[in-house]
Amino acid sequence: MKRGSKLLIGLILMTTALGGCSFSSSNNVAEKVKESPDVKETIVKENNNTKESPNLAKLVSEGKLPKLEERLPAAKDIMVENVVDEIGEYGGDWKMPWNGVADKWGIGQPTEEALFRFNQEGNKVEPNVAKGYEVNADSTVFTIHLREGMKWSDGVPFTADDVLFYWEHMLTKETFGKKIYDAYYSVDPATGDRALAEVKKVDDYTFTVTHKYPSVLFLERVAIDNKWFFAPAHFHKTILPEFVGDAKTLEITKEWGYEDPKTFLMETGYTDWLHYQIPTLRAWVPTNDPNGDQFVMERNPYYWKTDKEGKQLPYIDRIVATKIQDPSQKVLGTLSGDYNLTIFDSKDFTVLKENEKKGDFRIIPWTQPSWSSAGIQLNQTTEDPNLRKLFQDIKFREALSIGVDRNEVSEIVTNGLGEPIQASVPKGVMGYQEGWDKQWAEYDPERANKILDELGLTKRDKNNFRTNADGSELTLTIVESSTDNAPFLELLKKYYEEMGLRTNVKIVDGTTQFDMKYANQIPMHTENISVANVAFRPDTLVPLRVMTPWLGHYGLYTQSGGKEGVKPEGDVAKILEYWDKVKSSKTLEDINNYSNEIVKLHQKNQWVIGYAGPTPVLIVANNKIHNIPTDAIWCDEYRSLGQGHPAQFFIKQ
Amino acid sequence: MFQYIIRRILLAIPVVVLISFIVFYIIQLPPGDYVSSYAAKMSASGDIMSQAEMDQMRANLGLDRPIYEQYFMWMKKIILHGDFGFSFNYNKPVMAVIQQYMGLTLVVSLVTMAFHYIVAIPIGIYTAVKQYSVGDYFFSGLSFIGMATPNFLLAIILMFLSYKWFGNPLLGLFSPEYVNAPWSMDKVKDLMQHMVIPVIVIGLSGTADLVRIMRGQMLDELNKPNVVTARAKGLSEMQILFKYPTRAALNPIVSTFGWSLSSIFTGATITAIVLNLPIQGPVMHNALLGQDMYLAGTFLLIMALLTVLGTLISDILLAWLDPKIRTEFRGS
Repeated sequence: MKRGSKLLIGLILMTTALGGCSFSSSNNVAEKVKESPDVKETIVKENNNTKESPNLAKLVSEGKLPKLEERLPAAKDIMVENVVDEIGEYGGDWKMPWNGVADKWGIGQPTEEALFRFNQEGNKVEPNVAKGYEVNADSTVFTIHLREGMKWSDGVPFTADDVLFYWEHMLTKETFGKKIYDAYYSVDPATGDRALAEVKKVDDYTFTVTHKYPSVLFLERVAIDNKWFFAPAHFHKTILPEFVGDAKTLEITKEWGYEDPKTFLMETGYTDWLHYQIPTLRAWVPTNDPNGDQFVMERNPYYWKTDKEGKQLPYIDRIVATKIQDPSQKVLGTLSGDYNLTIFDSKDFTVLKENEKKGDFRIIPWTQPSWSSAGIQLNQTTEDPNLRKLFQDIKFREALSIGVDRNEVSEIVTNGLGEPIQASVPKGVMGYQEGWDKQWAEYDPERANKILDELGLTKRDKNNFRTNADGSELTLTIVESSTDNAPFLELLKKYYEEMGLRTNVKIVDGTTQFDMKYANQIPMHTENISVANVAFRPDTLVPLRVMTPWLGHYGLYTQSGGKEGVKPEGDVAKILEYWDKVKSSKTLEDINNYSNEIVKLHQKNQWVIGYAGPTPVLIVANNKIHNIPTDAIWCDEYRSLGQGHPAQFFIKQ
Repeated sequence: MFQYIIRRILLAIPVVVLISFIVFYIIQLPPGDYVSSYAAKMSASGDIMSQAEMDQMRANLGLDRPIYEQYFMWMKKIILHGDFGFSFNYNKPVMAVIQQYMGLTLVVSLVTMAFHYIVAIPIGIYTAVKQYSVGDYFFSGLSFIGMATPNFLLAIILMFLSYKWFGNPLLGLFSPEYVNAPWSMDKVKDLMQHMVIPVIVIGLSGTADLVRIMRGQMLDELNKPNVVTARAKGLSEMQILFKYPTRAALNPIVSTFGWSLSSIFTGATITAIVLNLPIQGPVMHNALLGQDMYLAGTFLLIMALLTVLGTLISDILLAWLDPKIRTEFRGS
């Protein structure tokens, strides 16, 4: 008995010790987030007359930097950026979590400066780095004007020579691992002949791009394919083999710590914004090695935009990107105030909303032009002939669509943020079709089963799953690269199996999935379609290359010029026909018409089935950060957060 | 003894070569390579690479050559120039990447290890001497929980509590403002603060094991005739305890000591990812996932080397600690 009682006391002691650190004592109020020392240092003294950051003003007075007027472009050519709410004040850090150099674009997109950028509505482009343009009547000659007196971040003038240099010595020579972008080719509607454009310098601030055939969407396509249609010639002349010789380039490559010159030239010519050695036009310039634990960008003293009062942008002093290793750290860091401007998808909505007050931030939802937030794509060219026949059958797709209860998917998977609708172009986005979102959206298991029976899938195996008509096993395999979608996949499996369709979910790692896609081994996948305008970026809707799961090896066929892959037939072939017409159209109207036809074919065939409508991207900003637009569209084409023009964001001290 | 050490070192060479080959082979096993992993990452952010671009990149990086050729190139460079190759992910020589993380990894590993021995050995001794006491049940219970709880879960719980109570989850090893700051008293203080959770979490799992081993060993030793004799001769309990049973009980701990060399080198992995620690473990994890093969290969190779070396050190230490083993050496 004695031993027993000691055991008991021991256990009680242990439980109290553990209980001490239980969740019950949560009444302690969280300490106020500590201000970082850097923020304190840069607090702006009340000085409304200043047209530049006090940090820069100090450098000017010390004689280390030319005066503001000498740094900005000529007065008539300064770009005046509209502020969203109010004129800002200088100072502060934009603190963001970052996945490191693997996430180059996470920093690249919001800081990007395009020659022409998309306007707020996203339906056309507006001048940015360029001052303006003229185009002739048949859209073959584009005359583009640059800003006089504009400078790179090291003070060297930015002129048409930088554009010409990029074109002649980098892009057309393919020095940075990219083929010449499609945007620079024009197509003859009659023969299909592709001709490369000609770029010519007119004077220091003007150049022309001449196409052989009309290219109505040239500027839009450059704004997507190749926004950075320029490069600092004075820098690249010091590293390109054409100028310094192969031996010297190799030497510089090694000096920078790179192994082979090709990779080095790709890093410096393509993803150049991470290197502090390279002059830039961006609002912030890198200051240190991006491979460290924290990557810091500082304001560009030569930035060429001001607000309407003539104050030089950007308002925010620095971008401080701290390396994280796990997405949950983004959430934790945001709640505790380590980060002040972060991006989340709607998955984290609940936890963020709960802590909105405590964390002193606000959630700004931006809509996405996605067709769905939970959907499935059926590979139209999947290997298994039985499956391929089913997937290509519009009836089968209808059965899969009506056999799932969308209300449940919407509630469980998207917290009710995504509507229970079919995958379709959302309202307000190019290609919207009235009533499409209702197509096959009603849950009707009886009809679904009836359709499957009619398709000849009447035989059942011993587990009561349907088999193919010839008695062979029928399995729907969904290949995924992460478990992020687990709740949705479970629901799908449940509903599909209720219809008697055996469903397997196969999780593989990202690399494997990528390779499987090329090998045509992915029958089903839950990728969602997100397209701002099919004419701008057709890849996900038009089978041009191996990329989007539904088009499978149709894409390979086009990509390889008919040597490999599966020849598109029926409506898929029609899509390609329309796409050729889009490419050679002479007017915007024609382009919009043919684009609309492509979307309509998708509506008719529903190769991509959606079970919940799109969810917004959540921008989580500390309440001190102002001027973030609340009505913008989030998509890759518009450069995600870049669409909000971060140079005019500011932090109220 | 000396001869024995020489022989062991010579034997280690073919072992390491064999390991290096196996390592290289295993790294190549998963489908895809660095380029497809890179392309997958890029396409996730909307930057789609064409097949030609990928082939080009493969050729640039030498990934289009046969495996054995890549292996011999790698080995040749290591042996002739001490060059362990190039990390694709970091765009830096492998050694530069490892160096970048070495300092903090050593700090975290050594502090953790010190914590783990300092806590575990006394508790092990205590629970054995006071077997079936309240304290024994308490600590034994704790150590079972320590053994059974996954580290990373404990890390998450502690982080949550830290956030709940102090408003700061103590992610990473430094507060954001100190990451790039030069070393100062404040930075050291900040580091200490951030070390609490990792040290407890990483240290605790090992500690629990060690407490159990120590307790078991001590119980075996406590009633041995030499202890009884010492007690009969009137030595004080403390003297007896440390002179005989403790020394003997350290045996299994010392013999496993050598293995910890490689874990000192990498530090914890999953826990480090959860806690956002800038140490080798996560770097290796990413290298393996991203098929950054020379970096991953170097990690595995160094770990293998350290394990071989550690076993040797353990053997030597054991000989020094345990007279019985020493005699066996002489005998051979």
